Amino acid sequence: MTAFLHHLAYDFKTGIRDRSKLLMFYLFPLVFFFLVGGLMSSVNPNFGQTMIPAMVLFAFMCSALLNLPSLLVNAREAGVFRSYRINGVPAASVLAIPVISAAAHMAVAAVVISLAGARFYGAAAPANVALFALAALLSYAAYAGIGVLIGVASGNNTVTILISQLIYIPSIILGGLMVPSAMLPGGLARLSLLLPATHCMKVLVGLGMPGAAPTPWLSMGVLAVSAALSFGLAALLFEWDSRASAPSPKAWFALLAVLPYAVAALIGR
Amino acid sequence: MSEAVVEVRDFRKRYGDAVAVDGIGFEVRSGEIFALLGPNGSGKTSTLESLEGIRKPDGGSLRIGGMDPSRQPRRLRNFIGVQLQTSALPASMTVDEAMLFFCAYHGKTPREDLIERLGLDEKRRVQYGKLSVGQQRRLALAIAIAHEPRVLFLDEPTAGLDVQSRADLHVLMAELRAKGTTIILATHDMAEADKLADRAAILLQGKIAAIGSPRQLTAAGDRRTRISVSSERGLLLESGADFPDALAQGPSEDYAVYLSENPGKSVAAILAWLEEAGDPLVDLRVERPSLEERFLEITTAPSAQGDDK
Repeated sequence: MTAFLHHLAYDFKTGIRDRSKLLMFYLFPLVFFFLVGGLMSSVNPNFGQTMIPAMVLFAFMCSALLNLPSLLVNAREAGVFRSYRINGVPAASVLAIPVISAAAHMAVAAVVISLAGARFYGAAAPANVALFALAALLSYAAYAGIGVLIGVASGNNTVTILISQLIYIPSIILGGLMVPSAMLPGGLARLSLLLPATHCMKVLVGLGMPGAAPTPWLSMGVLAVSAALSFGLAALLFEWDSRASAPSPKAWFALLAVLPYAVAALIGR
Repeated sequence: MSEAVVEVRDFRKRYGDAVAVDGIGFEVRSGEIFALLGPNGSGKTSTLESLEGIRKPDGGSLRIGGMDPSRQPRRLRNFIGVQLQTSALPASMTVDEAMLFFCAYHGKTPREDLIERLGLDEKRRVQYGKLSVGQQRRLALAIAIAHEPRVLFLDEPTAGLDVQSRADLHVLMAELRAKGTTIILATHDMAEADKLADRAAILLQGKIAAIGSPRQLTAAGDRRTRISVSSERGLLLESGADFPDALAQGPSEDYAVYLSENPGKSVAAILAWLEEAGDPLVDLRVERPSLEERFLEITTAPSAQGDDK
């Protein structure tokens, strides 16, 4: 346990010390928040109703989709995992610690966004902070699971970036961050159910924000199953050694992580 | 004789169709420095990494302190220390953090003395990514020995080190051996193996081509001693004179070179010849066959080349 805590403390510190982490945990999401917050509030007065959940989710995506997978791939390919292995660092720690320490940084970013959104842009604040925090945790877990799985399954950083962007860009456009999912035309609305962001927004708004929205049970279930499935697959597919010279056919099993979203797209509304 | 702490029996390892190690066997006794020598691709690293529990053998048995590395990797971790040929630490991890981090996973208190002993005292707060290659290797070594392992694996430990660091490392290895640590060393540096190893195995195409102490290995090859002579007037270079039991090898720079099975007799005859010719001696070198020469003899023999495809 002591070793785990030392590892966690070290990893948390690197969130400030490491430039790429600092950029993705704080600089990029917060600068985006301040710029887009100001712009969207003047263009679309209703944006204030979902600004805080949308910008919190944006920060989660930066951390979990843009930073976490590359972090894992780079460490594995550089031989860091080999050093861990020969010194008895468990695989569970290798996968869990970056997720937990990033979650702590994301909690800080979420608090900054929530306070600043309400203070500077008059955005609606979470009506139920505990439920909003629970929804945020569920959303982060789903995205972190996908991020870890991408990092474990990808053979190199180029593939990692491609896969991450394949989820990230549609999430921004169709996931309900800028335009509410309800305003999307029928086909796109159903397509958007394939994206974690759509379910995260439903859960964040439905559970934590003011208004009498029905409890988003389906999206909560999808995110919970997605998180469990992604972390489980990542644990199964995890390899200590470089995959650059020996791609693993097993990596295709990572596509199973799409299942909960596919089911939601079939049965959801 | 001390107990065997590492036992390798009919060990085999393959990658797809390529055979990396083909049924080798050896033992390493407690407190011994054992060198694994061989050209690239001879199976050294596969053997080391299988012993370390990083790779699974395809056949045979491996035991370290009675433990099977592939079945008992967790128990093995505190018993062995490893400096890998290719590995790294996180670029943003400082020297102090690395020591604390890995000692914590071994359940040990950090070894500040090792940081100082390995010349990293002034780099304690420097991040791994900003250390020189030599400093990174020294940090890896400090971490490998910080939990006082019974068996230490070193894969090319002096690669990237400057002359002073190499000498320091050799002293450290001798100290570890004196404390009873068993060291298994893979190296391309024959002088290092010759100097440090109690025994060595030369691997070739996945098999052991020779095994024994460096003295035994060299004695099993070409046993002739090399005699190199330089004189003021260089008469030996031109004379083509013959000496008892000495075979002229032709000049090498300013030296006349001979191979002799009876160096005492040959040297006496050469010196007498120079005296008689009035050509004062400038330099005389008498060199026994080195481990490097024996290594080259084995690895370049026609039988060693025969299986190449």
